[in-house]
Amino acid sequence: MVNRYSHSAATLILAALLCLVVIGCRDQRTSTSEVTDSPASQTLKIGIVPEKSIFRQKERYAPFAEYLSQKTGLKVELLSLLSYENIIDSIQTRDLDAAFLGSFTGALVLVKLEAQPLVRPQHFDGSSTYHGLIFTRKDSGINTVQDMKGKRFALVDKATTAGWLLPLHYFKEHRIDDPSAWFAEIYFTGTHEDAILDVLDKRADIGAAKNTVFYGMAEKNPRIINELTILTASPPVPSNTLFICQDIEQKTKEILRETLLAMHRNEEGRKALHDLGAAKFIATAEQDFQPVFQYAEEIGLDFALYENESPSVNTPSDR
Amino acid sequence: MKKKFFIGLIFVMIFFTAGGLYLTNSFNQITGILHNIITLQKMEIQKRTLLNKIETVQTDLLVKDSPHAININVFIQHVQQMEHEVQVCTTCHHAPEITTRIESLEEDIKKYQHKLSRVYTLKADRQRLLQELDNAFAAGNQLADKVESIIAASSLTMSDEVSIANYSIADAKKILILLVTIGPFLFLLISFFFVKRFTHSLSVLTEATGKIKSGKLQFRIEEKLQDEFGQLASSFNEMSASLQEQCDLLQETERLAVVGELAAGMAHEIKNPLAGIKVSMEVLSHDLDLEQEDKEVFLQVINEIDRINALLKSLLNYARPPKPQSVFFDVHQVLDATIKSAQYSLKNPPEEDRKDIEFVRDFSPEVQGIVADPGQLQQVFLNLLLNSGDAIAEQGTITIRTRKISNETIEITFSDTGKGIDSAELDQIFKPFFTTKSHGTGLGLAICRRLIQQHSGGTITAANNPEGAGVTFTITLPVEPVNEVIAR
Repeated sequence: MVNRYSHSAATLILAALLCLVVIGCRDQRTSTSEVTDSPASQTLKIGIVPEKSIFRQKERYAPFAEYLSQKTGLKVELLSLLSYENIIDSIQTRDLDAAFLGSFTGALVLVKLEAQPLVRPQHFDGSSTYHGLIFTRKDSGINTVQDMKGKRFALVDKATTAGWLLPLHYFKEHRIDDPSAWFAEIYFTGTHEDAILDVLDKRADIGAAKNTVFYGMAEKNPRIINELTILTASPPVPSNTLFICQDIEQKTKEILRETLLAMHRNEEGRKALHDLGAAKFIATAEQDFQPVFQYAEEIGLDFALYENESPSVNTPSDR
Repeated sequence: MKKKFFIGLIFVMIFFTAGGLYLTNSFNQITGILHNIITLQKMEIQKRTLLNKIETVQTDLLVKDSPHAININVFIQHVQQMEHEVQVCTTCHHAPEITTRIESLEEDIKKYQHKLSRVYTLKADRQRLLQELDNAFAAGNQLADKVESIIAASSLTMSDEVSIANYSIADAKKILILLVTIGPFLFLLISFFFVKRFTHSLSVLTEATGKIKSGKLQFRIEEKLQDEFGQLASSFNEMSASLQEQCDLLQETERLAVVGELAAGMAHEIKNPLAGIKVSMEVLSHDLDLEQEDKEVFLQVINEIDRINALLKSLLNYARPPKPQSVFFDVHQVLDATIKSAQYSLKNPPEEDRKDIEFVRDFSPEVQGIVADPGQLQQVFLNLLLNSGDAIAEQGTITIRTRKISNETIEITFSDTGKGIDSAELDQIFKPFFTTKSHGTGLGLAICRRLIQQHSGGTITAANNPEGAGVTFTITLPVEPVNEVIAR
């Protein structure tokens, strides 16, 4: 009798275990399926820097984000960034999965965060680089560094080659050890566009910005060519590159790279590229940033120690 | 009546259709205005939403450096929403002035956006930062003021539209009340008018029918009824006249039948004995040796017997006239022959009774041959001519005129310049045994009428001449009787 009950109990336990195993397997299979079959559930947060007005930047990149979402199935979300610190922090805390970064920020990210460059735009003229410009009004009477003494200098941001690294190189080249003392005011407009407009509208005497924005604006506003004069320029550096966090799945990175490199091959892609002022995306590697490292090295700027070595200017506390 | 009924019906229909069309038009107009008001209301809501978005951005701007500052991406979203609202506004249909203002609003928003961007991206000394903040905030306030002024302008337009809608609704209401109140009254009035006319006319006709039914065939509807009822009354009167005529004809026929029977009987019973008497009288007057005076008595008896024979013959002619033997002949030739006979007869009387009568022929060339019995017609013509001759006292004229009335009928008139006939007796002259002559039988004109009537609807009438003394007898004859066997 006891044996018979024991036999029955053992049978029940085995059946229950079998059920659990079956349910368990089924659950596991379901969850795997959800991960692999539903890429739309994955969000890709891409940061954009204020090359132009923050609102204009959002508008420019919106068709790109939509295209990418459509082609990859990822939910692409654009996030506006206001400063390089913001970018570093955001990538470090994984608030961002990727970001379009200028050459300076790109180099900084490569050194500090080991993020991976994916693609960068190639412009309609075939170039995929830009260079920084220092300019003033033609009627300002400024031709030499001596003429700049006591004047107002509009920079872009401490995270830009054109709007920061070039001026630093210029100061070093002309032995200006303390720019805050040499100039009446040094301030950061935050966008290349505003640096150009501030000099044009006499809110500043000297400005620094990237050539692509300078000549892009000049196409719509002839005053820029007519009233401004370029004092010096930086060597060419890679145009704003899409960096992606290292820990993003390799498969996702590959999908993104392939999608972006093929973007110019269809009408929708070409439209989105046009809004970005690009003909297509080209593959970008770490060595493409060598000119930036070299340019920084010329003035003794070490990206690894960049925050500490940042020369002080009379600016308000950075956000 | 039918015409007036339709006119009335059309009038009522026009009244209601016009009212209906006016109401439909008014309702369409009101619907259009209400649609405009709803659109304006939507636009106002849109503009207020825009104002709200501007205020949200302004608030974001004010708390930017405070612990309550919002994330930059949320701020961008607010600004984009503001831009979206103004873009929606531009898609709405506005008055040109408002459209221009909204377009300028778009430009202002772009400038405002730029200023906002500068505030967020600028890193400079406090003075420059405050300056940019003030600039952006002032631009925002200016923008809000502009939107408020557009809202005020739109509200004014909406107020005008509401006033127009109210006026239109009031007008439509008046017309509707008019249609609802006046319409049925008008309809009733018109219906009453028609029903009254209809029933009155019907009652007149019913009364007339009753009179005819009671045997008053001479009754005529004297009241002038309107429209179709008037035509009906006219037809009714014609029917009454025809009935009376038929009745008279029937009486005449009955009388003729009686006279015919009488004449036939008399002829049978009287004629043979009279013939014997006459022969006996002639034998006696011839054989007997009588005095001249006695012989004249015999001759007078024989003459009277001849007169009785002639009377019997006339009676038979009148009662049972011989059937006309119709042939095609020239009526003018018959008339000429008859006139000659009449002239001859009128010339023969004794010297003291001789008259100076001129016969005037006025024959129309249009009158050619006719189909009739020339013998019977000659008898009629001769009778009339002799009557006319009798009517003329000493000197006068008898005019015989022919003319074509239509392709089917001709007219022959005999006008004399005699003493004429008393108006009261004119109706009687064609009746048998009526005579104004001292020695007449009163059958001549009666026989004439019988003979003429035998010619497929021929007529004979008499009338005093309007221009003076004398009588005119008028005969109408068909040119070619229907279904008549013609011997040409």
